[in-house]
Amino acid sequence: MKRVWVHVGLIAFSAYILLPILWIIRTSFVPESMSYSSSLMPGFTLDNFAALLNRRNFGNSLLRSLIVSLGATLIALPFAAATGFAFARYRTGGNLGRFLVLATQMLPAIVLVLPTFTIFRSLGLTNSIFGLMIVYAALNLPFLTWILMGFFEGIPVELEWAAMIDGANPWTAFWRVVIPVSLPGLASAGILGFIMAWNEFIFALILTGPATATVPVSLAALQTQNGIRIADVSAGVVLAVIPLAIIARYAQRFIVSGLTFGAVK
Amino acid sequence: MAQVSLRNVVKRYELVQVVHNINLEIADHEFVVLVGPSGCGKSTTLRMLAGLEEISSGEIYIDSRPVSSVPPWNRDIAMVFQNYALYPHMTVAENMGFGLKLRHVPKSEIQARVKHAADILGITNLLDRRPKALSGGQRQRVAMGRALVRDPKVFLFDEPLSNLDAKLRVQMRTEIKKLHQRVNTTTIYVTHDQVEAMTLADRVVVMNGGRIEQIGPPQELYHAPKSLFVAGFVGSPGMNFVPARVEESNGSLYLSIGNRCRLAVPLARTDRYGPFVGRMMTFGIRPEHISEPSGEPQSGMAPLELPVDVVEPMGAETLVHCNLDGTTVIACLEPSTQASPGKPIKLVADMNHMHLIDPETSLVV
Ligand SMILES: Nc1ncnc2c1ncn2[C@@H]1O[C@H](COP(=O)(O)OP(=O)(O)O)[C@@H](O)[C@H]1O
Ligand SMILES: [Mg+2]
Repeated sequence: MKRVWVHVGLIAFSAYILLPILWIIRTSFVPESMSYSSSLMPGFTLDNFAALLNRRNFGNSLLRSLIVSLGATLIALPFAAATGFAFARYRTGGNLGRFLVLATQMLPAIVLVLPTFTIFRSLGLTNSIFGLMIVYAALNLPFLTWILMGFFEGIPVELEWAAMIDGANPWTAFWRVVIPVSLPGLASAGILGFIMAWNEFIFALILTGPATATVPVSLAALQTQNGIRIADVSAGVVLAVIPLAIIARYAQRFIVSGLTFGAVK
Repeated sequence: MAQVSLRNVVKRYELVQVVHNINLEIADHEFVVLVGPSGCGKSTTLRMLAGLEEISSGEIYIDSRPVSSVPPWNRDIAMVFQNYALYPHMTVAENMGFGLKLRHVPKSEIQARVKHAADILGITNLLDRRPKALSGGQRQRVAMGRALVRDPKVFLFDEPLSNLDAKLRVQMRTEIKKLHQRVNTTTIYVTHDQVEAMTLADRVVVMNGGRIEQIGPPQELYHAPKSLFVAGFVGSPGMNFVPARVEESNGSLYLSIGNRCRLAVPLARTDRYGPFVGRMMTFGIRPEHISEPSGEPQSGMAPLELPVDVVEPMGAETLVHCNLDGTTVIACLEPSTQASPGKPIKLVADMNHMHLIDPETSLVV
């Protein structure tokens, strides 16, 4: 009996999370005119996707988002790894250093976005996906540092000691032992950084123009004077979520299997 | 292979000093074991030897060359860690060959040396596996293999057997001893287990609270401990300690325990213990030197009659816990003993093996 209630609870909770998503998927395949209908599948069309990709160049937004998010993550990751390792192993900066890294995350984005805009405009970096990439890398850095620091702390220092005694200087030990052992951690951090950049809205809105808009900005632009074109928006959301879904599907296995290593005991 | 010396080596962490003035000369080929309770500074000492930890003062020499400014990767030593610290992303063969690869040894030679070491350790069939696919005992062997392959000047072991179950531990202990008899590399081995220390060492270094209590071959530590700590630490079950007053009558010395118990001190020790007449001292005697009387009374055997608290049959021997004036005294008796709890038992203490400890200095006199 108790198990039944547990299942009822879990089903209700899953529905709470999944139904809106399922409804969006459904709406993305329904013609705009029938999109507010309460029936389950009042029609079927791929026009929403076609319109989005052809007339609104949504494909370009996807490509830009991909470049910006990937670029920002790849720029931030090595710095975050180096900083996180210094915090974890050498306790550089002590607790204050750690706190300061975390403190940067306490500022709301809106506080940062205006000064950033001013600086970037004088540097000529507004309206450029490169500028946005740099901003995302900077925004990601503290967060990724924090995650990787935790991961490095979990790596027994004896692994590095063993490498040093085997003849590796600290730099070699870091590259030949610490980094390979940390690949799962680097992957998780990278994925989280990618998702954060992929979904980011405020900086993208302020720092890009129509020709450089990323996915979230392009989605928001679907809200016109004629009201929200909900079927188009749904199709856009589906397209925006697909890369994340793919990552989640394949990365998960890699991360989980990588975490059980067996260096010690 | 090399000799190693530690001269006045001190380690301080900020305000606390954890290693005090260690002096130790280790000969070429020697197997030296650092033993002591947890937290006494054994690992710190070993890490200073390895160069993983800076020394606060003093100097360490490997082959007469001061090494305090030589980083670990240039010291030509190998170390086996308690948690093995195998590289999880490499196969067993890669783990073992890593040190040679870093030194740009040709591939074919690395292969040959890894194969040779694997043969010695009986892990040839594991060479392609990764650490996570190995059992604890196998990982332990790989960790030793990684050290062996390098053919270094010195082997350092930090509690290498502590993570194994009891049976495997005894087996690996023997293998380590065999290995040393075969390759003869100077070895410094750290453990908190005195049995491991006694069985493996050419010389044992007993440490306590960051200091060396005594250095000597296992038999010497067992028969002639210099301090209360060493007397109690070496041997299992540990030495019995009973407060006793030294008394003299008619030129002979006695130990007087409580009101009823008087034990004769062998004549040969009269001069040694003479200065302590009238003082409260600590009388030390090992359980194996207390037995049940058999046949004629022999010289140096002091009779005792004590109430029995607990009887612990161990198979080859039986441990009997008795009460001597409020202090528990363990006797290691023949398994045929009739001792039973609550009843008194007649015993003799072999006073030729007694120790007398000055409670003020904690030193054996
Ligand atoms: N990095 C450190 N900072 C401060 N104290 C330490 C540090 N490492 C070890 N110690 C202290 O030094 C003492 C000796 O430690 P250790 O050498 O590991 O002991 P053992 O190996 O004999 O168990 C312990 O009291 C421990 O708390
Ligand atoms: Mg230790």
